[in-house]
Amino acid sequence: MNPRHPSPFHAAGAGPGPLSRREFLWQSGGGLGGIALASLLGGEGLLGGAAEPAGAPARPPGLPHHPPRAKRVIQMFMAGAASHIDLFDYKPDLIRHDGKPSDFGEHVEAFQDGLGPWMKPVWEFKPHGQSGRMLSEVVEDLGEVADELAFVHNMVGKTGVHSQATLLQATGFQLPGFPGMGSWVSYGLGSMNENLPAFVVLPDHRGFASNGPKNWDSAFLPSQHAGTIIYPGSETPIHDLFPAKGGGYVNARSERAAHALMERINREHAAARPSDGRLDARIRSYELAARMQLAAPEAMDLSREPDAILDLYGIRRNPGSWPKEINAAEERDYFGRKCLVARRLLERGVRFVQIWSGNDNGFPRRNWDSHEDVRRDHGPLAMGFARGAAGLIQDLRQRGLLEDTVILWTTEFGRMPSSQGGKGRDHNPYCFTNWLCGGGIKGGVAVGESDNWGYKPLQREKPTLVYDIHATVLHLLGIRHEKLTFRHNGVDRRLTDVHGEVIRDLLA
Amino acid sequence: MPSIQSDIGFRRRRRALARCTFCAGGLALVLCLLRAAGLQGGEPAPWWSLARLEAPALPAVPARLAAGVRNPVDLFIRARLAAEGIEPSPEAGRETLVRRLFLDLTGLPPTPAEIDRFVADTKPDAYERLVDRLLDSPRYGERWARHWLDVVHYGDTHGYDKDKPRPNAWPYRDYVIRAFNEDRPYGRFIQEQVAGDVLFPGTRDGIEALGFISAGPWDFIGHEEVPESKIDGRVARHLDRDDMVVNTVQTFNSLTVQCAQCHNHKFDPITQEEYYSLQAVFAAVDRTNRRYDIDPGVARSRAALEGRIQSLAARRKELEGVIEGRAGPGLGELNSRISALEKSSAGSAAVGYHSAIEKGPEVAKWVQVDLGGVMPLGGVVLHPCHDDFNGIGDGFGFPVRYRVEVSADPEFKSGTLVLADFTGADVPNPGVRPQGIEGEGKSGRYVRVTATRLAPRQNDFIFALAELEVRVGAGRTNAALGRPVAALDSIEAPVRWQRSNLTDGWYPGAPAGSGLELAGVRAERTALLARHTRPGERVELESIDGQLAEARQGVGRLPAQSVAYVGSVHTGSGAFTGTGASGGKPREIRVLNRGNLLKPGGVVGPGTLSAVQGLPSRLEVAPSDPEGARRAALAKWLSDPRNSLTWRSIANRLWQQHFGRGIVETPNDFGRMGAKPSHPELLDWLAVQLRDGGESIKKLQRIIVTSATYRQVSDPSTHPSHGAGRLATEASRGGGIDSDNRLLWRMNRRKLDAETVRDSLLSVAGDLDLTMGGPAFQDFVVDKPEHSPHYEYHLHDPADPKSHRRSIYRFIVRSQPQPFMAALDCADPSMQVGRRNESVSPLQALAMLNDALVLRMSSRFAEKLERSGGSLASKVERACREALGHPLPPGDRKALAAYAREHGLENACRVLFNLNEFSFVD
Repeated sequence: MNPRHPSPFHAAGAGPGPLSRREFLWQSGGGLGGIALASLLGGEGLLGGAAEPAGAPARPPGLPHHPPRAKRVIQMFMAGAASHIDLFDYKPDLIRHDGKPSDFGEHVEAFQDGLGPWMKPVWEFKPHGQSGRMLSEVVEDLGEVADELAFVHNMVGKTGVHSQATLLQATGFQLPGFPGMGSWVSYGLGSMNENLPAFVVLPDHRGFASNGPKNWDSAFLPSQHAGTIIYPGSETPIHDLFPAKGGGYVNARSERAAHALMERINREHAAARPSDGRLDARIRSYELAARMQLAAPEAMDLSREPDAILDLYGIRRNPGSWPKEINAAEERDYFGRKCLVARRLLERGVRFVQIWSGNDNGFPRRNWDSHEDVRRDHGPLAMGFARGAAGLIQDLRQRGLLEDTVILWTTEFGRMPSSQGGKGRDHNPYCFTNWLCGGGIKGGVAVGESDNWGYKPLQREKPTLVYDIHATVLHLLGIRHEKLTFRHNGVDRRLTDVHGEVIRDLLA
Repeated sequence: MPSIQSDIGFRRRRRALARCTFCAGGLALVLCLLRAAGLQGGEPAPWWSLARLEAPALPAVPARLAAGVRNPVDLFIRARLAAEGIEPSPEAGRETLVRRLFLDLTGLPPTPAEIDRFVADTKPDAYERLVDRLLDSPRYGERWARHWLDVVHYGDTHGYDKDKPRPNAWPYRDYVIRAFNEDRPYGRFIQEQVAGDVLFPGTRDGIEALGFISAGPWDFIGHEEVPESKIDGRVARHLDRDDMVVNTVQTFNSLTVQCAQCHNHKFDPITQEEYYSLQAVFAAVDRTNRRYDIDPGVARSRAALEGRIQSLAARRKELEGVIEGRAGPGLGELNSRISALEKSSAGSAAVGYHSAIEKGPEVAKWVQVDLGGVMPLGGVVLHPCHDDFNGIGDGFGFPVRYRVEVSADPEFKSGTLVLADFTGADVPNPGVRPQGIEGEGKSGRYVRVTATRLAPRQNDFIFALAELEVRVGAGRTNAALGRPVAALDSIEAPVRWQRSNLTDGWYPGAPAGSGLELAGVRAERTALLARHTRPGERVELESIDGQLAEARQGVGRLPAQSVAYVGSVHTGSGAFTGTGASGGKPREIRVLNRGNLLKPGGVVGPGTLSAVQGLPSRLEVAPSDPEGARRAALAKWLSDPRNSLTWRSIANRLWQQHFGRGIVETPNDFGRMGAKPSHPELLDWLAVQLRDGGESIKKLQRIIVTSATYRQVSDPSTHPSHGAGRLATEASRGGGIDSDNRLLWRMNRRKLDAETVRDSLLSVAGDLDLTMGGPAFQDFVVDKPEHSPHYEYHLHDPADPKSHRRSIYRFIVRSQPQPFMAALDCADPSMQVGRRNESVSPLQALAMLNDALVLRMSSRFAEKLERSGGSLASKVERACREALGHPLPPGDRKALAAYAREHGLENACRVLFNLNEFSFVD
């Protein structure tokens, strides 16, 4: 975790004695025209409303295009390229031919030198659920929800370079400058709770994946549709949510009075300039900012979650310190916390949450780019995300939220069925796996097969591309992917570029 | 977009329309195709932007409106207003005008003294003189360069994966500032940026301006780790050239040429072949560091000396030819031995020295060379290895921490001198880039490299090195070549790994034929030739060699060259070789079927667009011409007075920055998918003024900002209508007909952009440092620089005075935007921003309330007010004038003073910075 300095709101206020953050927030928020804090904190009153963030331009007309099956999305992104072969795509032929020289039947351009002998899956696979879904033992926690999951095993990328490939899965384009999927959803559907951002990103706490915030940028869309980075558990979970260090002179009372004074002066200023709606919008944005200061910490506060829920997500209540080496317990705890925060955000009306596993592709590996040793890196990372994801799916189900929430698990590409001479696998942009579950998704199925090796799709002329996945998710949200467009530098841009077909076999 | 589709291409045959990753159009596309087809019958009028540019007649306006006209701009605006029955608005008050002009022309607010000075200036030309003063201010260039950098997507890092810093990008930024301040004629401004090295050789601007070509992002991994022999490597280079083409055409000509990458442009008359002919213009260049002389005198001396060296070398070669002709068959034999040796050493199997393998990295290992005698060292060069084991490749075994020492004692027990010490922190792996270390005149017989932290291999750790080169004194020869090597240990696995490989003259990227055996055969050859050299020839050769040495020393005596990151021919090693090795020969460019690199069509030469009326698209370049001739030809085409797009494009960009909206609302697209001009004749008039008026940008801006149109109030409802003696309603002014103010019946209120907000904070607080130029300041702390730098903004100390310079000098990170600036809608350097988004959001409010910079500047502003003394009320009044440009109404002022009394002046300053008035200019 990056050490982020403590908020001055956390320290003693300048008032008549120390204030806790919660007390501070109550007092400062209470001054904003008598807002009913209970409803803010609970969020229930605002969930159904179609509130529009201040200053937002009109959303594209005619939305939703058809009755939606889902309202919300969680995207889990495994940065560095997670191996389909070792997690989800069971290949008995690889076990039979383990160690024998690989033969792809054609020239293969490897990113590094990944054409060593065939290498069997690093872990055993076992069947799970009614559907008999084969899962690797490191993701066996997902067996608890095996019948909810729908797999796509014939995903194909366009490049074996991490940066371009990550952009492609995240934004639909392999060069920077295009909005993330969550930005498009925010633009298309807006917010369900104006006190929280519509699109939230929970990065790996150890650093950004390839391209960093370019993966969730608003690019040419209005900036409020950019993913808002949240670091749950940090003192400043959202940048500038509270006064930065050096703002010790700001306290609860000064803040309340400041808001009142600004509103007074701004209202007079705006009254003399009646034709400019931006002035009113900006006044309102300060109200919303104050409300976000209440709503965001509350949404991220896991302290009142019961033990059973923490256990379900693999979270330790008091984790203490972790060993230096990568380990499954730590990965479970961190990923589980992100998943639980994601649920709380969804409950409070956030539209799109993106959760990342894996930082930049450096060393020691805290990412999925296992050129050297699949077991060493993939093991803990997989056990970590599998617990959190399985917990999240069950928790959403028991709260009735799974039926209108789509969950998408993805990565930038897969890994080769051959080794690199040792224990690692090279990049495989020619084939990888995605899975989905939740609102409108048919559980317990697999559409699209890979070949015997997991090297390329079984039907090479019928691969699935990211455009199809994106089109399907938009479809579930009631959006026709061809119709959600934004004109930029002369081109009507869309998430799916000029491609994309809804994958009907995935739909319930 | 090209891709590695190969046999798994996603062909969806049902779709009749050609599809590409760049153009989406849906139904509009079909309609447009039909329309285009319909037009082909007759001789259609050219699209407005492509038509010849001629000065339009000045329109007549009704006498009632003519009274307030200040220059022809107003005629065009008022003629249109009259036609719509809309009244123009009156001139704004002086306090409003002075704040408007300062923020618009310099990006900084006026001080109270400057406001007073202007308000008190009763001469009739007070406004015009203020305009001239601001246009002459160095602050003007800093403001307007920022607009330009938005368009060309300038940044100080590469972007993409790893997002490494680009430390030599800033000379281009400084060039743009200089060019605006010096009012560079626009045609020359274009020419310098596309081909300054060719058209203005020997000038500083001619090199630094080429930063235009390299301004955009660069895929480090796709170039440095993937060679052009691989498809991914070719994709990376194709996309890189695409960025150069798009940047050029979109910036200067406002057309979306990228839409012709996979097929002919669907909407505009641009063919796919034309797109690739533009790629051919840039086919030899890469983004790279280039050396140059800032002083033109030095540049001339260097050019003269290099010319001399060249001609002397040519004469020497000629003489050698004569002598070789006499040397007989022995020479041929030696030549073929040399070439065989050169061939074998080019991909030498003798990789280098390799230590024993360890389980952990914290083991010290050394290797050393014996020079044979004590010598004064000029320098030491470490050449890393390349080995594909475990996919490591470049930099294999290069130590993570190490030091280099010299001693007269082979045991290094006494008299040890340290040449370099990198044992305190991990060093980034250099790949195969040679690591040069200064000798600093230290002497010794043994040079030792000690690794104190070994390089990872595969669950184990090693130390390997390809070559240890030692230079003596100022000489260039490698004194270590062939000398004995000792080491703590070695795996000794000949021929690939052995101690003696460390001084065999071969390493990755070694010039062909630097090996030891080769040196011997070369010596034989030299001796043979010496035997056949006649005395007269020997005298001449000696004389030539003397003169050559002198000329080379002359070059050595010149001041060190500067380095700028520009678009230029690159000479590199490893995967990123560039075209330097082939003398800058342009890469072959083919039309790519559907933009697919695996489906190349015919070869295309350099060319440009044919659609511009009255301007030939053929570039007069012969295949044998150097690559720069291609860029020079394109630069001339772009800056041609007949290129109607060029002049319309820049006139529109300038207008847009003054009014917040262009006459054409899509500044980067003048094609059919773009907007049409609201005032086409005005746009043409402005474009002609610029083109035929000395190409002076400042002159055109002076016309625009001195117009009555620009001087109007932004909210007429608060002002009495001139003439009529009554309060005008919104409707009578145009609020009903043109509430959007497309026709400019009033001025637009502007929301300050991110840079202006930040600069204003610093300026009002009294902390702004107006130092111009040079490397960018960083308002972040870099973590983990060795792999993917983490740019940690929250660790920066806002009190650091180095970060108090104007925002144009901020180090712009592509992948991680500065959170405060991003919240305020600063430009995204990943894309060409012709016009910024303008948003209002809670996150923006939080940034203005809580960002470290705002909080710090509020404190500093309060300190400044305290220093100048007076009552609290007077301080508050001064604060309002500084921050807002005018006093607040009495009631508000009292409330603010009461607030300051209770919560402190710094809190009151923070309130001022957060007011709407601070962020908007009327």
